[in-house]
Amino acid sequence: MDYLENAEEVAFRARVRAWLEQNAPRDWRETVESEADMGLLIRGWQSRLHEGGFVGLSWPVEFGGHGLSATYEAILNDELGRADTPRISFHNYLGRAVFTYGTEAQKERFLPPMLSGDMQWCQGFSEPGAGSDLASLRTFAERRGDKYVVNGQKMWTSGAQHADWCILLVRTDREVAKHKGITCLLTSAKAPGITIRPIHIADGTPETCEMFFDDVEIPVEQRIGDEGAGWRIAMTVLSYERGPGDIGMVATYQAALTRLERMAAERGVLHEPEVRKAIAKAYVRGEVLRLNVVEQLSKRVAGAVPGPDGSISRLLLTQAVQSIHQLELELAGADALTGRNDAFGEYLRSRPISIFGGTSEIQKNILATQVLGLPR
Amino acid sequence: MRAIPSPEQVMLRDTAQRLAATMAVITPGDIKGFDRNAGWRSLVETGLTAMRLRDDGAPLATGYEAGLAVEAVGGQLLPVPLLGHLLAQELIALSGAQSDDGIYALAMTRGLDQVAAPGQADAVVFDGVGAEFVVWLGEDGSVHRSRLTAGPESGADLCRPFLSADVYAATEVLGAPLSPDDRIRWTAFALSMMCAEMIGVMRTGLTQAVEYAKTRVQYDQPIGSFQAVQHMCADILVRTEAAASAAQYAAWAVDVLPPSESLLAARTAKAFCAGAGRDVGETLMQVYGGIGQTWEHVAHLRARRLIVDAKLFGDEADQLLHIADLRMGAA
Repeated sequence: MDYLENAEEVAFRARVRAWLEQNAPRDWRETVESEADMGLLIRGWQSRLHEGGFVGLSWPVEFGGHGLSATYEAILNDELGRADTPRISFHNYLGRAVFTYGTEAQKERFLPPMLSGDMQWCQGFSEPGAGSDLASLRTFAERRGDKYVVNGQKMWTSGAQHADWCILLVRTDREVAKHKGITCLLTSAKAPGITIRPIHIADGTPETCEMFFDDVEIPVEQRIGDEGAGWRIAMTVLSYERGPGDIGMVATYQAALTRLERMAAERGVLHEPEVRKAIAKAYVRGEVLRLNVVEQLSKRVAGAVPGPDGSISRLLLTQAVQSIHQLELELAGADALTGRNDAFGEYLRSRPISIFGGTSEIQKNILATQVLGLPR
Repeated sequence: MRAIPSPEQVMLRDTAQRLAATMAVITPGDIKGFDRNAGWRSLVETGLTAMRLRDDGAPLATGYEAGLAVEAVGGQLLPVPLLGHLLAQELIALSGAQSDDGIYALAMTRGLDQVAAPGQADAVVFDGVGAEFVVWLGEDGSVHRSRLTAGPESGADLCRPFLSADVYAATEVLGAPLSPDDRIRWTAFALSMMCAEMIGVMRTGLTQAVEYAKTRVQYDQPIGSFQAVQHMCADILVRTEAAASAAQYAAWAVDVLPPSESLLAARTAKAFCAGAGRDVGETLMQVYGGIGQTWEHVAHLRARRLIVDAKLFGDEADQLLHIADLRMGAA
């Protein structure tokens, strides 16, 4: 049992921090005014990180990664969160689908631009009729010679507005059991027949997208894995999406806590026992989340693949983030409601966390049946 | 960084858990008939009672390893005074005094928030049943002991009743007074061990409740197939494993981090464990339905232990105020 970083890890953290001081985008929250700006910022930032040698740290060297343990991804994510940089693209968990299940040609074609940020990706899984019950998806791909012709609709395709490519789950066989008729395809997001429309979430921002597929042609060589193997691939991707260590949420949470403490000080309530307890509780939630993620990460470094117990840290993350924004809303008082600060917007933007990537109820179902072994 | 147990630590955990399971308390009737001498002897033989004795200044086992033993013994509600003994031994070790083969308990203030000073009015003895000596802590950091004679038992935790401390007035001083840093180290150790025990109670409780939910049939189905029951169990799992992550870090920190950092880690873990304890105890009882409300059932024994442990050395609110002081300065 050891929570201390070794000499190499300490040195790596120092190197990342020094590099970020020179290279991290500054004041981007103030300067980014449109979705197009945001798209350019994300692309440029990933390309800079890639040039710095910080992208694909835990990917195997043969796929353009650095072959380091997941600990280094965690250190990087921690430092990115501290430096309050823009989010990096979804390459980490989407790339896993390509290098785990793809052909040599696919790896050569897709992995390098995925890492460099030249090819931005989105994930076309959910549909209007397939949310929690993802396997009931109906977007259909009909095989015609050396291509598939795809018709249907995808929802919650976050980042589609900035994406060049999309990893897509489609039904290729309606006759077999629903999990067995699903196939994984890669498609250009700009292919003829694809329409992308923004979905505005409750705070009014175009946070995510829907995609319409109207006779979209996808060459067979852009299929990942066998026909009918899509479900397993999707589960791999989702298990990595669920590890908050992978997406640097812990440091982001800590930054939110610092902002909350500053706000309480500015409003002159830092001496009130109820406020002190509430802020301390937010700190405790963050620490518990961090330590749980560290443990998950240590298991992964020791060779375990992400399992269903990842739903524990996902639920802890959800509770922590939603609670801290509820607290921020309370501390901001009427000012949040009359528009003198953005606490209300922050609060609304924290609500979808208990939905995306699997609702909190689905996470609990996973824990009950797959970890505790309760009957279905 | 490897926040996972070593193979030796896994072996220690398994050994402690196997041993504890052979003596598990599963109904209040088990407590009276429990062979305390044999129970204690088996802990001594396994080395669990000596874990925090010093060899050349270093503890024989780490805080994390002591936590594994406390978790195992507490998880089966064994009526043997291991926890109180380890906490008292740690005070004696930090005082620099030689230890002996005595079985030690702790004198606590009436509010259960700290170790009582010698002669303090209204003190109670924690984990005194089966112990021979009571340890006190003077305001100057001096460690005292008095001989314990059997007194009346009382309190919410049936497996570990409190004893009246009024009669243990005559004390002798052990070693040298603890430095302020050593007092902080001890508090961090005590809080971590309370958390370790709560984790044991919650984990064992959940395992047993899940087994029950798989076998208890209503409406021709196991109740564990109903989502309402599943979500109760999943909630307990999340809170227990989250608490365990914090508790294991705190126990590790005792021997490694500077005193102020290990105290913050310990208060963080205790705040979370104390906040979860009663809820988890209640929910475990709820999973069992009516049978979980009965005297003969183990469920209330666990809830009792969780509620008392949550209070010892400060409940959630106490810890949160301390954490606020540590992070933001005093109000």
